[in-house]
Formats: sequence, structure tokens, C-alpha cells
Amino acid sequence: MKKTVIVLLFAFVLAVAVSPAAAKDLKVGFIYVSPIGDAGWSFAHDKGRQVVDAMPGVTTSYVEAVSEGPDSERVILNMARKGYDVIFATSYGYMDPMLKVARQFPNTTFMHCSGFKLNANMGNYFGRMYQARYLSGMVAGAMTKSDILGYVAAFPIPEVIRGINAFALGAQAVNPQARVRVVWTKTWYDPATEKEAAKSLLDVGADVIAQHQDSPSPQEAAQERGVYSVGYNSDMSSFAPKAHLTAPVWNWGPLYTETVEAVQNGTWTSQALWPGMEKGIVDLAPFGPMVPQAVKDMVTKKKSLLVTGTETVFVGPLRDQAGSLRVPAGAAASDNELLGMTWFVQGVIGTTQ
Amino acid sequence: MTSEMLILLMAATIQSGTPILYATLGEIITEKSGVLNLGVEGIMMVGALAGFLAAKITGSPVAGVLAGGLCGSLLAGVHGLVCLGFQGNQVVSGLALTILGTALANYLGTPYVGQNAPGFYPVPLPVLSQVPVLGPIFFRHDLLVYGSFVAPALIWIFMKYSRWGLGLRTAGENPEAGAAAGIPVVGYRWAGILAGGFLMGIGGAYLSLAYTHIWTTGLSAGRGWIAVALVIFAFWKPGRAVVGAYLFGGVMAFQLRLQAMGANIPSSLLLMLPYGLTVVVLTLASMRQRGDQAPAVLGVNLEPRD
Amino acid sequence: MSVLQIKRRQEPLFIWGSCLIFLGAIVLSLGISSLLLLIQDRPPIQGLVLLFQGAFGSRWALEDCLVKAIPIFLCSLGVAIAFRLQVWNIGAEGQFALGAVGATWIALNFGTLPAPLLIPLMLATAGIFGGLWGLIPAVLKTRLRTNEIITTLMLNYIAILILDYLVYGPWKDPVSFGFPMTEVFSDSAIVGSIGATRINWGLLLCVVFGVMVWVFLRFTRLGYELKASGENINAARYARLPYERLVWLVMILSGALAGSAGFLEASASLNRLQPSIMVGYGYTAIVVAWLARLNPLYIGIASYLLAGLRVGVEHIQLDLQVPAAFGGIMEGLILLTLLAGSFFNHYRLVIRRAP
Repeated sequence: MKKTVIVLLFAFVLAVAVSPAAAKDLKVGFIYVSPIGDAGWSFAHDKGRQVVDAMPGVTTSYVEAVSEGPDSERVILNMARKGYDVIFATSYGYMDPMLKVARQFPNTTFMHCSGFKLNANMGNYFGRMYQARYLSGMVAGAMTKSDILGYVAAFPIPEVIRGINAFALGAQAVNPQARVRVVWTKTWYDPATEKEAAKSLLDVGADVIAQHQDSPSPQEAAQERGVYSVGYNSDMSSFAPKAHLTAPVWNWGPLYTETVEAVQNGTWTSQALWPGMEKGIVDLAPFGPMVPQAVKDMVTKKKSLLVTGTETVFVGPLRDQAGSLRVPAGAAASDNELLGMTWFVQGVIGTTQ
Repeated sequence: MTSEMLILLMAATIQSGTPILYATLGEIITEKSGVLNLGVEGIMMVGALAGFLAAKITGSPVAGVLAGGLCGSLLAGVHGLVCLGFQGNQVVSGLALTILGTALANYLGTPYVGQNAPGFYPVPLPVLSQVPVLGPIFFRHDLLVYGSFVAPALIWIFMKYSRWGLGLRTAGENPEAGAAAGIPVVGYRWAGILAGGFLMGIGGAYLSLAYTHIWTTGLSAGRGWIAVALVIFAFWKPGRAVVGAYLFGGVMAFQLRLQAMGANIPSSLLLMLPYGLTVVVLTLASMRQRGDQAPAVLGVNLEPRD
Repeated sequence: MSVLQIKRRQEPLFIWGSCLIFLGAIVLSLGISSLLLLIQDRPPIQGLVLLFQGAFGSRWALEDCLVKAIPIFLCSLGVAIAFRLQVWNIGAEGQFALGAVGATWIALNFGTLPAPLLIPLMLATAGIFGGLWGLIPAVLKTRLRTNEIITTLMLNYIAILILDYLVYGPWKDPVSFGFPMTEVFSDSAIVGSIGATRINWGLLLCVVFGVMVWVFLRFTRLGYELKASGENINAARYARLPYERLVWLVMILSGALAGSAGFLEASASLNRLQPSIMVGYGYTAIVVAWLARLNPLYIGIASYLLAGLRVGVEHIQLDLQVPAAFGGIMEGLILLTLLAGSFFNHYRLVIRRAP
């Protein structure tokens, strides 16, 4: 009897020891720049977090609406102090604060989105959204009748400028006459102003509205005027079913799960990740019913070329607005050139300030 | 800029000025009664959410506007309770209300982000909308815009000619004499706060029901503060509030169109236009005006009497 | 039948009574916040413990909160001076921005100077920039009778756009891939930390400025005249300085203090200038100044407590997964109950038999 108890006890201890529940859960923290209720950038990251949260042996948490100033350093620091194993910071301005904290906590894994600095325990990541932008530009270029494409954009930073350029190049690839007019709203998120900006573009003759904004209100403006639109962040077709051609969308889940798995397995190394359509980090939302089959086929074909890496978006000759040669013929823009892009290609009308 | 674009700009001016106009009118009524309410921004946020939710649940945009207004009154009532009931400082209470209202709207509104509700769409007025130039500028809007055409005049008449208007002004100009004459001064202040909150709530509801038709948090995006500023700009006169709101909305719409037309000016500088112009116009107007026309005891609480 | 009556106290409640009311208001608002947590199926006690730990519970917490309290304190101190004269300066936000711009301008152009020279130069420039930005509405008010509430508010937006213009344009860091931020300041332009803590030497600045303002308001004739003139414009006639000059003076001082906060945030916290330096301390300062009844010592306490609340709420967010808006609700509730509670400093309720 006594023996059985001991054996049972032993078996129990063994079972507890090997069962995954007994292993310490990996704690993963996320820091967002806006409330996830913005339906845009942070919302997309939080969808990725939810995928991670469903992984076995992982718990996640997040802090939202953390300003990029000194507050972010404290939030990252407190996550590290509280024993989070992996910390994702999802805005450019978190880079320097995260680096500071990373140096103090060598056993914690830090991942920073959209920056460029690295440390032994800090990697960075981003997605090649410009690939999807290019494809959406092709659709817009094929659908426009006035040859004027309107682009409602938030802030003149390289990420946004790169997207506008890719969109313009895509449009010009199918329609050399296409011009992209840009209006800056200086806000990521102000639905009323975004809509007004879209209307101002419609007033100067734009008949496709694209956006680098977090609210779907530019889509609505396009639908009310009976013209087309291209969304952003996620499939926005439900907001403007008659106007929505397609949308370049984020899908952070795969990258987040891969990173967390690597940390779990001890195979994580610090590097700069910049995956694109081949990993499914960025993609194109389903086409609207108004897009003709020929256009769909053309875009799908180009997409497969981008996915396999046979072709890239920023290939020379590329000239800026003033006409000076930025990327010579036969060459392609390097990643560093793309990361620091502060000039518009020819055919874009607007200022980069 | 073609004449057609100019007409479109004017029409856009009216639309973007409307939410600010409602909020400004609300603040004018409140301040006329002697109460300063700096919580406009928070009240608009709550009004936007309440309007959206009510329209979504009942299917009626009109119910949405009413709910937006009522919840605006409700939140303004908190201001009334703190300032009239407990003699709390009006500036701090208003600022606290902005913090509270913004947070409440985010907290309660997050689950509905990205959803639609039935809202207001343009209803061209018969005959009037066909008038050249004026028709497309003034008479091809939604019902709330038409409401904002009528509201300033009604408020002006009410303030100037009705007995209640006089009572309200007394509460803000000379409450002691009013109380001595048997006027329920505190009651008028309550009325001013609640009625003002109602209009601010409608201003918020306009954003979620007419300006856009999609719910997202943070819709007000600083418009409440502009309203506070425009009250002073308007010298507490409803008619001048119209000028202020359209001036502000117009310059905002104009700078976006300048960009769309390809003006090669840094956007930061363009965005300064509405704010800079407000200061300049106010300064010019102040130079001609005697005093700033503020209600005499604005922001001062009344001593409760034994 | 009994009737509840409001009686004015002969004298305002003394300090212990005020403390009691303060505690009562805090307990009430924390109670409501706990209810909110409970509705969301979050453990309320744990939430309050987290809040307390985050604000006071450890050395880290004290450090974190002090760091956050520094800019709030400086802005609030400035606001309080203007409010003494009943000049409604809503413009600390813009003056803060201009101060940061001024300090950055020095740091970018004279970064090679040694720290003992450079840091005071940056501080002085920040003060001058902030002060001049405050002088604009002062002159408009006294010369052209333009209401200062609207001008200071509008100048906030303009100041932030100036800052934007500079970091998006001429001051953009060439090695930051075109992101809107200046280059990192040179080492001699950075205000360092005190020992091994996270607290920067700005804390010392707070103490110095705090004492100076206290002495100025309390013991100098000018300080007394400010208060008297603010309460009664006729008193200004007997002041040594004409009312116009008084307005200019308070707005310059007010702006300079907010500007010095901008300098500290840029130099000590960010080590560079970027748009996200603007997080609304200028508006927070108004609330703090009022709550503290424009008294420098109370402003210090209130700044710390507000910073503690904001830091503590982050801990609740992280550990209990409540949305960020929860912090705003809590802050709003606390402020409102505090305001309502201060009623009892001056009044008491009496239950009396109806005649």
C-alpha cells in the first residue's frame, strides 16, 4: 500500500515535471502607440498578439496608447522588471528607449518594429508593405479614368513616402499617364479630417482614393462620390463595398509566432527582419467585384513574381520630382535607400515636408 | 481654382464647421449663465458615442441625435453637480470632465470600432437646392446642417427677447441682484449647463452620424477646444459664432485643397493657417470692440445662502 | 421633520481637516474605480495594490514617478504665477514646445561647448524662448485687449506645428532614415542622472525654482502686489509696476518655467527633439496648479501624486489587461471627487429641526 502511494506520488511528480503546464510560461509583452480601438495600425498588431496568445506555453499582455517619448522607456523597463521574456515595441519612436533597456536586461529578448538599431538581445522587424502598395497602385492605375489618383497620407516619414512611391510606380506601370496627388493630414487618426482630405482630392478630379491613415473614412468619401478607393491596414470593403477595389493589409501573426517559437527553442538570434509577401506579413485584400478579370490576372501575375523574388518594386531608372536620377537604370534601390526614402518619384504631386 | 471648386470648398466649409458650431453655441449658452465649461471636448466624445449607439440600436438617426444630446447634458450635469452643488472650481472640473469623457468614450466604445450605424445623408431642399451657386453651397446638406442654420437665430431671439433668456443672462451678469429680485439664479445656471451640454452632445453626434458614418474612438480630435476658443472669438454672440465656426472650418478645408492642388508649401506651415488666422481676426475685432463682452461673473461660483 | 442645511464655516478647515477630506475623496474615487474593475471581472483589490505599488511601492516606483513629475511641476509652477494675477495662461503647452525648440537650437549649434557652459546656455535659451512665446499673448492682451485664453490656446497649436516643421524639415537627423527627429545631442548637452537612479538633475532645478517662486510670491512686495492686483484690479493702481507690466512679467516668468520643462524633457529624457515630446503636460499643469491652490509646495505634492497615478495605472494595464482609458476614467473621477470634497473645507452640513 505504502509502496503504491509512493509510486503514485512519484508518477505524479514526474507528470507535473514534464507536463507543459509545469514549464514556466513564456511571458510576451506588446507596446502599442495608440489604443487598439483605432482599427488601424495597433489593431493589426493586436491581432498578431492574439495569435501568439493562443500558442501553448505562452501568455501575453500589452500596454496601449504609450506615447513615444520618455513614457515608453518606463513601460518597456517595467515589462522587463516584471520578468517578461519577449517584448515587442510596435512604433518607430520606441527604438532608442528600447535599446537603453535592452542593455540593462541581457536575458530578455527585445523586438522593435520599423527601426534599424540592433543589440545582442534586440532585433528589429518590419514588413515590405510597399510590395502590396505597388500592386494596389496597379489596380488603381487600371481603374482610373481621369488619370488622377488621390492619396490621403498621415505624416511625411519614409514608411509613408515609400508607400506612395510604390503606389505611383504600380499605377504608372499599367497607366503611364497616371498622377498621384498627395494630401498630408498630419494625424494618423482623425476620421473627420481624413474624410475632408479625401474630399479635397476628389474636388481636384481624383477618381481613386488611396490612404495611409488608420480610419476608413476616406473610403466612405470615395463611395459617396461614386468613385473607387483603395484601403489600408485591413480589408476595408465593408465600409465602402461599392468603392473598395482592394487594400494592402498587414498580417503580423506569422512573424510573431515564429519569433516566440524561436525564443522558446533557444534558437532566436538578433537580426533585422524585413519580410514581405513571401511570408504573408503583407498581402492584398480580395478584389472588389468591379475589378475586371484582366486586371486581376495582371496583378496576380505580378504578385507571384514579387513573392518569388524574381522582380522587385524599386528598379531603375527612377527619377525624383525634380527630374534628377535617384536609382540608375539596371539597378534596384537598396534596403537602406528604401528605409531612408524622403523623395517622391516623378508623377507624384505634393511635398515631402 | 475654378468656380466649381470654389463652390465645393464653400459646401465643405459648412460641413466641417457644423460640429464646431453646435459645440460653440452650447458653450455660449453655458457661459451666458455664468458657468465656464471647459469639458466640451469630453462631452463631444461622449455625445458621438451615445449618438452612434442609439442610432445603431433603434435604427433611427434622430434617436441618435437625441441620445447624443441627452448624454451630453448628463455629463454636463456632472459639471453642474460639482460646480453648482459643491462649489468646485469650474476650470478644474471642466478639464477633469474632458479627461473623463474622452476616456469613457474610448472605454465603452472600443468594442464597436469599425461598425456602421444608420446616419444622416444629404437631403437637397426642393427649389432652393436648384438656385445657382447658393443652392449647392447651402441647400444640399443633411438635416443637422439645416438645423445649425436655424439654431443660432433661435438662440439669439431666445436670449434677447424671452423672459427665460433674460433670467439666464442675469445669472451670468448680476446674480446677486437677480437673486434679490427673486430670480432662481442657480436654477438658470443649471438650465444653462444642461442645455449647453445638449448642444455639445449634438455636435459630437454630428461627427459619428453625419460627418462620417463609421464609429471609431477619438472622433472629436480637438474640436471641443476650438469651440471653447471660438466662444471668445464670437464675443458670446450666436451670430458671430457662425462666422467663427465657418471661418475655422473653411480655412481647414482650404488648406487641404491647397495641398491637393499641388501647392509646394510644407504641410506644417499650412496647418498653422486656421489657428493663426483665428488670433489675427480676434485681435482685429478686439481692437474695435469695447471690453471683451464676457459675462460679468463668468467662472465664479455663487455662495450658497443660509 | 429635519432639514439639511449648508452653513459656511467661520474659518476654513485647518490642515488636518483638509487631509481628511482629501483622503475621503480618494477613497470614494478608488471605490468607484474598483467597481469598474469588478464589472470587467478584474480583481479590484489587486488592482489597487498594483496602483499603489506602481506609485510608491518600490525604489523604482519612486524614481519613475519623480521623473514624470518634473516637467509637470515646472509647467504648473509657471501656470500658477500667471493665475495669481488672474491671467489665464492656457499656453504652457506651447511655451514648453518653444523651450524645447530653443534648447535644441543651442544643442545642435554649439554642441561642442563644455557641459558647464552649454547646459546653462540651453536652459537660458529655453527660458527666453518660452518667455517670449508667453509675452505675445501678454502684449496682445494689454495693448489690443485680445483675450488671453484664446490666444494662448491657439499659440499652443502653432508652437507644436513650428516644432513639427523643424524636425520634419531643417533639423531632421540625417542618419535616422528620414524620421522626424533631430540628431542625438552631444554628451555635454545632456542633463545626466543623479547617481545610479533614473532621476535626472532636473529635480534640483525643480527645488531651486520652487523655492524661488515661493519666496517671490510670499516675501517680496512684487509678489504681494501680483496677488492683490489679481484679486482687485483697482489695487494695481497702487502697485509699483503698472498693470500692463505686471501682465508682461507674469507671462514671461510663466513661459520661461514651462520652457525650462521643455529643455529638461528634450535634454534629459529624450536626448533629442522629436514630435512625441508633446504629451500634454501643459494642460495637466493647469489642473495641478488649481488643485494645489497655486501654492508651490502643494504643486510639488500634486505633481507627484498625479504622476504616481499615471504610472500606477500602467501597472494595472499590464498585469490585469484593462484598456488605457481606464486610467483616464480614474483620473477624471479622482479630480471631480476632490473638487466636490473641497466644498467641506468651507462649508458644513447641519441637520436642523424644521420650525
